[in-house]
Amino acid sequence: MSIRFWAALWAAKLSVPLLKITKHNGTNFPGELALKICPDFLKYIGKPGKIITVTGTNGKTTVSNLICDILEKSGKKVLNNRAGSNINSGISTALLNGVSVFNRPRYSMAVLEVDERSSKRIYPYVQPDYVVITNLFRDSIMRNAHPQYIADFLTNSIPKKSKLILNADDLISSSVAPGNDRVYFGIDRMDTDVTECINLINDMRICPRCSGVLKYEYLRYHHIGKAYCPECGFKSPEYDYEGMEVDTYNMKMTVKDKRGSKEYPLLSDSVFNIYNEITVIALMGELGMSQDETVGYLSTMKIIESRYNEETVGKINLIMQMAKDRNALACSRAFDYVSSQPGEKELFLMMNNLNDEKNWSENTCWLYDCDFEFLNRDNISHIVCTGPRTKDYRLRLNLAGVPDERISCMEDELEAVNLLRLKPGTSVYMFYGTDSLSLAFKVKESIEKRAKEEAKNDDRSALS
Amino acid sequence: MTIEVLYPEVANLFGDLANVDYLARSCGAQVVRTSLKEKVRFPDEDIDLVYMCGMTERSQSLVRDAFRPYVEALRERTEKGGVTLITGNALEIFGQYIENDDGSREEMLGMFPTHAVRRMMSRYNSLYLGKLDDFKVIGFKSQFAHSYGDNQKGFLETIRGAGLNPDTMAEGIRVNNLMMTYVLGPILILNPPLAKYVLQLMGVTEPKLAFEELSMDVYNTRLREFSEPTRGFTYG
Repeated sequence: MSIRFWAALWAAKLSVPLLKITKHNGTNFPGELALKICPDFLKYIGKPGKIITVTGTNGKTTVSNLICDILEKSGKKVLNNRAGSNINSGISTALLNGVSVFNRPRYSMAVLEVDERSSKRIYPYVQPDYVVITNLFRDSIMRNAHPQYIADFLTNSIPKKSKLILNADDLISSSVAPGNDRVYFGIDRMDTDVTECINLINDMRICPRCSGVLKYEYLRYHHIGKAYCPECGFKSPEYDYEGMEVDTYNMKMTVKDKRGSKEYPLLSDSVFNIYNEITVIALMGELGMSQDETVGYLSTMKIIESRYNEETVGKINLIMQMAKDRNALACSRAFDYVSSQPGEKELFLMMNNLNDEKNWSENTCWLYDCDFEFLNRDNISHIVCTGPRTKDYRLRLNLAGVPDERISCMEDELEAVNLLRLKPGTSVYMFYGTDSLSLAFKVKESIEKRAKEEAKNDDRSALS
Repeated sequence: MTIEVLYPEVANLFGDLANVDYLARSCGAQVVRTSLKEKVRFPDEDIDLVYMCGMTERSQSLVRDAFRPYVEALRERTEKGGVTLITGNALEIFGQYIENDDGSREEMLGMFPTHAVRRMMSRYNSLYLGKLDDFKVIGFKSQFAHSYGDNQKGFLETIRGAGLNPDTMAEGIRVNNLMMTYVLGPILILNPPLAKYVLQLMGVTEPKLAFEELSMDVYNTRLREFSEPTRGFTYG
């Protein structure tokens, strides 16, 4: 262990109270500083005895948080990076918070959310006992290229000793690191399943063994489902943890594993979150937690829908729905979910890559991977397009079959609020991304103000 | 009219397939999709446009093997003036070879004296502004490889951005009506003049595009942006 490491550790540790005093806590600065002083800081930093990492395109934050909460409730002292980022500086910050000034680990376990692309810089030094992979989908074209690239990236980075917890219904992520020990989770046929993909994106159309066209016994969305190859007999892996009898009305499901079947409470009715929950149940099984214990802990928990917030304002329902920008799949899932909700809807699209627009111009290819076709429904009465790419949205919606008279456009997001019709009883959905997050709250305030004023005016008119 | 899309089960990245739907909608063409294990149709049938777009690096090898029996047929089609559009990294399949990070080479179809150099840890992302005849072409590039070798005048004349590689202004490859470009995504939707150009090559005399007025508005907006001298061109 070099002098450089000790200098990095102490300087980074010293920065933590300084950041707190200056109200800058929660940043990656300590980890960044440590890595700057000692580039292989992660190699030397003391680590907890058991390490679990969670990676994948979607759901890693939800899954990491649930795992942490369950383990903490079970009495374990768990180190995590939920306050920071999931890249190497965030992992460094978390780990340095978990050691004494003499580099002695103070936690028995760590649950770390790891960005897929950062795994190359993390796994050589932080060797997890378990790697949980939620799923792999298309993400940013520029950064992530395509899911096979990310799968190869993970295969080349994950240590041989790590046991994998994998989604059998996702043939891309379930193919990662084929030499590693593994268990699979998945969900048996659901009422809403289909056998032919209706989405624009399906990145698992051919058999990985013989390149024949794959068929699906059931398909949930995109490439998620149970596949088989009629030509060579290849099929999706069998489930070790099998979700079945999913009952979103009574909010329960059964999970069958080698210990038998057990009924679990459903924490959310969205399929994405049901997958997240089964992922957690599978990991808990592998950690040796009994089914009863897992049920007990899950019964006290909620999935915080930070990406979905609903409230009644005036005479409308206002819903903030995150639809990650640059991510065709996340937006498709959000569009699908919203379009399937009952009642009349008005949409406000503001998922522009505002940071890109400062110096560059958003790469809008993803708009043509995204299922805007879901928005061509009669109960979506009006769509307001905003931001620098307003016209692109209008064109895309037209090509998706949405009648032009249902579309309004204005580049300025705050001014565009005035285009909303706010008809009483309507649900207004705001779609925003990470770049437009802070602006989304300003827009929300503006919509709330208008909705309240219009409700007052309506009431006055009714009285007179 | 008939458009043949080659291998859409693997060649489908970045929204490129929307180009074909746009053309078909604009001229009423029928679209036929040929998968890896099917016989390619253009050698035997009357196909007005053959289209293939970008794919994963692993799929490039599958497509190379699937298309190998049709190289001569494509040469013949090209000599006769048949219209073919190849976008994204699909163009690399028609060169001599692709060089990997470790220096190893994957032989490709050898139709053109070019080769690609692939660097999987170095993704090139940029905007593109170029010219074809009397109109400008705008678009996006997002790729792990650049191609090198003699592509003569290329398909597009670069105004800003990289050509076939960052050291050349000649973008893509053009032989008669065979057009290949690294510009990816919905290139025809973003460039109505190019969409009309392709339709004219296909034999549509007075092409009228779907939502033409709106797509021209989108095109002109982006053209203004991409022409701003201060606009950053390379991402990241």
